[in-house]
Amino acid sequence: MNLERLPNEEKLSLCRKYYLGGFAFLPFLWLVNVVWFFREAFLKPAYTEQLQIKAYVKRSALGLLLWVAVLTTWITIYQHFRAEWGEVGDYLSFTIPLGIP
Amino acid sequence: MNASDSDEDIYNERSALVRSESPALPSYIPDSDLTPPNGTPTKRLKVSFRSESLQCFVPTRPAALTPSEEEELTLKYGAKHVIMLFIPVTLCMVVVVATIKSVSFYTEKTDQQLIYTPFTENTSSVGRRLLNSVLNTIIMISVIVVMTIFLVVLYKYRCYKFIHGWLILSSLMLLFWFSFMYLGEVFKTYNLAMDYPTVGVIIWNFGAVGMICIHWKGPLQLQQAYLILISALMALVFIKYLPEWSAWVILGAISVYDLVAVLSPKGPLRMLVETAQERNEPIFPALIYSCECVHCSRSAPINNGSAACLMFVIVSSDQNRLFRLRTGSSGCFVGLCLTLLLLAIFKKALPALPISITFGLVFYFSTDFLVQPFMDNLAAHQFYI
Repeated sequence: MNLERLPNEEKLSLCRKYYLGGFAFLPFLWLVNVVWFFREAFLKPAYTEQLQIKAYVKRSALGLLLWVAVLTTWITIYQHFRAEWGEVGDYLSFTIPLGIP
Repeated sequence: MNASDSDEDIYNERSALVRSESPALPSYIPDSDLTPPNGTPTKRLKVSFRSESLQCFVPTRPAALTPSEEEELTLKYGAKHVIMLFIPVTLCMVVVVATIKSVSFYTEKTDQQLIYTPFTENTSSVGRRLLNSVLNTIIMISVIVVMTIFLVVLYKYRCYKFIHGWLILSSLMLLFWFSFMYLGEVFKTYNLAMDYPTVGVIIWNFGAVGMICIHWKGPLQLQQAYLILISALMALVFIKYLPEWSAWVILGAISVYDLVAVLSPKGPLRMLVETAQERNEPIFPALIYSCECVHCSRSAPINNGSAACLMFVIVSSDQNRLFRLRTGSSGCFVGLCLTLLLLAIFKKALPALPISITFGLVFYFSTDFLVQPFMDNLAAHQFYI
């Protein structure tokens, strides 16, 4: 799908749908939104819908950053304290490495 | 475990998105610049490939071209198309080979087999093993034939909802379940700890965005990447659960079926192409890999069966020795080039698998029986060429 060939209203609608979709625990969707619409929002000459597209891209980026922060924190905590948590740690684990932690 | 319908469904394709006259298509492959502002139809060569677990190439061109211009176009785009197809196939192979080399899970032979190949190859005699692989092939090919015909019938009677539902279900399974397994095996190989919440988020994101990109709208490169990854996952499952000899016989049989299905007048794929051309409809996404040549002065979108990637990958990945890998894959690529060349020459729907698979198989087996002993002999005598 090539963005160039879409009319502006459809671009806006697509951007908006991607933005809303990201609220379903989908930071990856927000990432795709930001990357895909970046040029449209910031590098193209202005057109009517561009302001709204810009807003959506900015909000998606914000949401993405938030998710990255949360995930990084959680992963750090988990990796560091997993062994000490004993049973809870094992219960949470998808894969448990072999050997002594 | 068994691969269920997904191996057929995902790779079932209908219709080329081809039109002989070129007004803008209501296709998910954007073509809206087909008629330039001054009104004359753009000279454009559209090449589409599609297949079931098979592959067929369908070319089309707009009417207003002189013979010499046509020749020029043919040559110009032939080379570009070849390169554009090389990339996904190569990427697919790279992913599969990298996985096989590092994650031992996919090469550990297990007694579990797909339900499509119930006959075991663990027998003592060569004859028995051969018989079993032929029987497995017969079952597998009949399943493929039945599925193909079923799909053609569905398409003919416009049961689009059913087809859509089927496709969605199978891509769901691939995107979520297979990738979940894959991730688990990778973590085990590298001895990493991973928790359920994180894995959940990763798989959910990968799968959901994949579904959106493939079945709805998404950036082209992401869609291509997902199709490559899906093909790679599928290939890995086949490599693990398909017994060796059956795999080779199936490959051979599939290319024969491809030939028949595309070229014979009553062949299902041919009927599919014709029905789709009559209706001027876009293909269901998720089945085709679309390369858009953004650097072409005239855009020439190509659609290719992602199943083709699968087949090529299986041929080249089911090998333990790197040397054979190289020759097998080169065989495939040679076949691919030849097929594209034929496509440019004949300008009609062509089966794409046979030549590639034949070359791949020939190269592979001849390496095994001829080249390798030759090289061993040379090495033994310390004779370098």
